[in-house]
Amino acid sequence: MKQLVEIYDYRQMIISLVRKDLRGRYKGSILGFFWTFLNPLLQLCVFTLVFSVIMKASYEQYYLFLFVALVPWMFFASSVQDGSTSILRDKDMVKKIYFPREVLPIATVTSGFINMLLTFIVIFIVLIFSGRGINFLALLCLPVVMIVQYVLCLGIALIVASLTVYLRDLQYILGIFTMALQYMTPVMYGSDMVPDWALPIFNLNPLTPIIAIYRQILYYKQVPGLSSLVEAFVVGIIFIIIGEFLFKKLQKGFAENF
Amino acid sequence: MVDRENAIEVRHITKMFRVYYDKGTELKDKVLFSKRNKYENRKVLDDISFSVKRGEAIGLVGKNGCGKSTTLKMLTRIIYPNSGEIEMNGRVSSLIELGAGFHPDMSGRENIYTNAAIFGLTKKEIDARLEDIIAFSELEEYIDNPVRTYSSGMYTRLAFSVAINVDADILLIDEILAVGDANFQAKCFNKLREIKANGTTIVIVSHSLGQIEQICDRSIWIKNGKIAAEGIPKNVHMEYLDYMNEERIEQEEKERVRLQRQEMKERIEREEKERIEKENEKKRKRYGSGDAKFTNVRILDKDGNPQTTFRTGDEMTLDLDYEVYKKVVDGVFGFGVFRNDGLWVYGTNTRIDRFDNFDIEENGNYKVKLSDISLIPGQYWVDVTIEWGDGHPVDYFKEALRFEVVSNIGDTGVYRMPHDWKLTIPVTNK
Repeated sequence: MKQLVEIYDYRQMIISLVRKDLRGRYKGSILGFFWTFLNPLLQLCVFTLVFSVIMKASYEQYYLFLFVALVPWMFFASSVQDGSTSILRDKDMVKKIYFPREVLPIATVTSGFINMLLTFIVIFIVLIFSGRGINFLALLCLPVVMIVQYVLCLGIALIVASLTVYLRDLQYILGIFTMALQYMTPVMYGSDMVPDWALPIFNLNPLTPIIAIYRQILYYKQVPGLSSLVEAFVVGIIFIIIGEFLFKKLQKGFAENF
Repeated sequence: MVDRENAIEVRHITKMFRVYYDKGTELKDKVLFSKRNKYENRKVLDDISFSVKRGEAIGLVGKNGCGKSTTLKMLTRIIYPNSGEIEMNGRVSSLIELGAGFHPDMSGRENIYTNAAIFGLTKKEIDARLEDIIAFSELEEYIDNPVRTYSSGMYTRLAFSVAINVDADILLIDEILAVGDANFQAKCFNKLREIKANGTTIVIVSHSLGQIEQICDRSIWIKNGKIAAEGIPKNVHMEYLDYMNEERIEQEEKERVRLQRQEMKERIEREEKERIEKENEKKRKRYGSGDAKFTNVRILDKDGNPQTTFRTGDEMTLDLDYEVYKKVVDGVFGFGVFRNDGLWVYGTNTRIDRFDNFDIEENGNYKVKLSDISLIPGQYWVDVTIEWGDGHPVDYFKEALRFEVVSNIGDTGVYRMPHDWKLTIPVTNK
């Protein structure tokens, strides 16, 4: 609790780190911040070309089916990968000055989160223009699932950020791991394509219900079931508790392990 | 907190550093070569306890590597003790690494925001202080230029201004007042006084004992990871300086013995070569007719032991043996003292000191007792001479002897003039 209050006191630091990261992302390019929107839009064009024109997928408007799941997935992947190096990246600051170290993974995840929010502007535009439309009632659930995902991502980021300081290999291992996990999560295909015997394994993956809910809201335009949302939220809370517990233990040695 | 009045309580902290012989952080190193991860535990702080009252200013002193900066880092919560507890009450600001987190491409103004945010200030709080910070840094004209265009002095000035305007309850400082020019330093010092007057608790680590004496109520001397003394800065510093001088004299002594041994060895090894060299050396540093020569020259302390390090005010005796090969008529003995930069400090001889005329016929010895060498610390050498008549050299032995003077008083010049102060204003001892 005391920790939470202190992190809240350092909100200005989080804000300025996020701002620095978002601004710095496309720094030096001519289009600058505009790339935040242009990048997903161009990605979408590629998907449309590949899956609607060349490879006919079995889902209708597959590019939309894929895109509404891929954007949240990319947020997760960046949280894990950037999160794992978040402490190392700012080691000069960690070595020199005190601030609650949680600020660094929080800023990294928040910056990925805001990036996702901005990309969602593109998603909405495409949903409307593609004729698929939006179910506003279902849309009310979207912030909830986003927050649930944020909590889960933050929990994982706290764990990997603190471990990577002690074991640098982890950042590369995580690169492979997230790539593998992408195929183990119904991102490019739907949960309906998973054979029944493998479903329990897939459901162990906390990302499975979250991605499914995104797709339910945006692609199928349905109000998601409450049970799967609650389930995902509980998993997220567990991760963040474990994450903070581990982080608190390990952070004491940060400055001496660079 | 055990005592509500305390701002900082340090209880029995011990800190060990692992010194790796060959460190590996990769998985491969950790698993395959676990033997490579050999390390040694070095105890930097050994069961230290102290507390600082609210509004008190304390100084941590000690020689390099004694653990005082480590203590400060632990107070800052950058590193943590292996055992023991530290409790701090209030917002902490540290002037340890100035400008951590400065971004060179951003303007001074933007950097004030990011840097102050690192100290835990909210935007509102920073807005309220912005004017003060800019004014204090004296960078009004440059505040919207990118920080990379700043000189190093401007850079530290800005960083210092941010850190000192945080309005912390506890301020931790490591060797700060080396910031900027003399004017800015004076300004920092005044600001520090003001902050202290406002009730901020201050902990300073510094080698400048004078600064600590001016601002601190108490000094803690850390020696080999333990607290050696604690109390009124002036008293603690006296003790500390005495110890440092002792140690220095010891070191000199060790060095002298080491050199002597080495010299002996070398002499045996290359006696012949040395002899020729010495012959040349003598020609350069010794001249004269050679009818009489110094054979053995020493400096003795007041107990009659050979010594090369003295304190200002000590007694010193030059002890000189000579051999005579041919009678020297109307002989004169003399000596001169020079500082190691060649400054002639003093010189005299038996003629100047009005001895009766004498001839030097037999081998002998003479001593010169200097009952009070009031020289300012430094290195000195002594020339000793045998002459005849009106300054004709028989054996002029240049740089025959060397000695060093140490002192714990910081007066300057060449020699200490005996003096007494008489002041009409009343002097209070703080």
